[in-house]
Amino acid sequence: MKISYISGLRSTCLVLCLWMFAVPAIAQTGSAQLSINLTVQSSIGLVFNNNPSVGSQGFCPLGNAGSNASSLDLGSASYNGGDSLTCILFSQQGNFYVVDSAFDVLVTKSNSSSANYQLSAQISSVPPANVQWTLNQKLLSTAFVALQNANNYGQPVTETLEVRVRNDVPAQILQETITFLATAN
Amino acid sequence: MKSEVMKSVYKTIYRAALIMLLLAGSSLSAQNPTTTGTINATLNNRNGIALVFDTDPAGAALGATGTSAVTLNFGTISAFGPLSAGITRPAVTAASFTVRTVFDVKVTQGGLNSTSYRLLANLAAVAPNGFSYNVDAVTLNTNQQTIQNRAIYGNDIPHNLDLVVSTAAPGAGGPAVGTPLTATINFTATAN
Repeated sequence: MKISYISGLRSTCLVLCLWMFAVPAIAQTGSAQLSINLTVQSSIGLVFNNNPSVGSQGFCPLGNAGSNASSLDLGSASYNGGDSLTCILFSQQGNFYVVDSAFDVLVTKSNSSSANYQLSAQISSVPPANVQWTLNQKLLSTAFVALQNANNYGQPVTETLEVRVRNDVPAQILQETITFLATAN
Repeated sequence: MKSEVMKSVYKTIYRAALIMLLLAGSSLSAQNPTTTGTINATLNNRNGIALVFDTDPAGAALGATGTSAVTLNFGTISAFGPLSAGITRPAVTAASFTVRTVFDVKVTQGGLNSTSYRLLANLAAVAPNGFSYNVDAVTLNTNQQTIQNRAIYGNDIPHNLDLVVSTAAPGAGGPAVGTPLTATINFTATAN
């Protein structure tokens, strides 16, 4: 009778031990929530790139190419002496000398169904008398001037900057900041 | 004769009893009454783990920062336009753009032998069209995924939250434009 009781107790202990090992330990966890709010807006972006022909005559390199704030050095020029930079396309046209350099404008769109865009430009200040700034033969002023009306997004557009200076313009630094404006159609 | 003896005995007993009463009386009058009781106190010291979000100095300000239920407002986002404070735009490609902020996770524990925890995250609902959510480069879905395996308790650990947004137009695979969008990310910390 006593042996049977001890045997039963052992069996019970064994079952309990097996059960304890069989049940996996439950890992402690903590949880939290992060709620996000946002609104997506359509946008277009404009960058200036060097033309694939950069370095050759008529295609001077941009400073800070690939951005929307670039610079362009047109060198030193005179009516009789030409331009100091070989990448400048220099010519004499009557009483004027002309310096040309081209670069690319790339406009991309995001989250927009616009099919194309209009590109305009303006210069920052009125140039001295007998000095003209043009882009693709369009005379620039301090008001926006349309360059193209329906350019395709994602395709570079080559714009040629030209400065025309009459031979009686006094020696000086000629400088403009040209603002380009792309407007989604 | 017998009665005399009995009388003497009774007298002696009487005197003894009187003396005992007198002694007991003086003793009782010198002490305050007392009583005793016991409290069987039990404290169940349970183990636990807690997770809170903190605003990171480099990230956007969290609503209800320091709690386990915070809000994060990315504001108006776009591929090229301005962004809110604490939001950056690490990538813009032809197909998508990414906006990012950084937030801190702090996990504390008590009553555990654990020295580190595993951080998991999942989206509460399927991401809307044109969106994907990444935490530390792990693209989230509605199933729990491991973000960090052996994070140390008690530290504010920064994590990047990236929203990768398709540049496609609405209706062409891109997200809705001009409409407030919301998402909820569930985070779980599991003791190692």
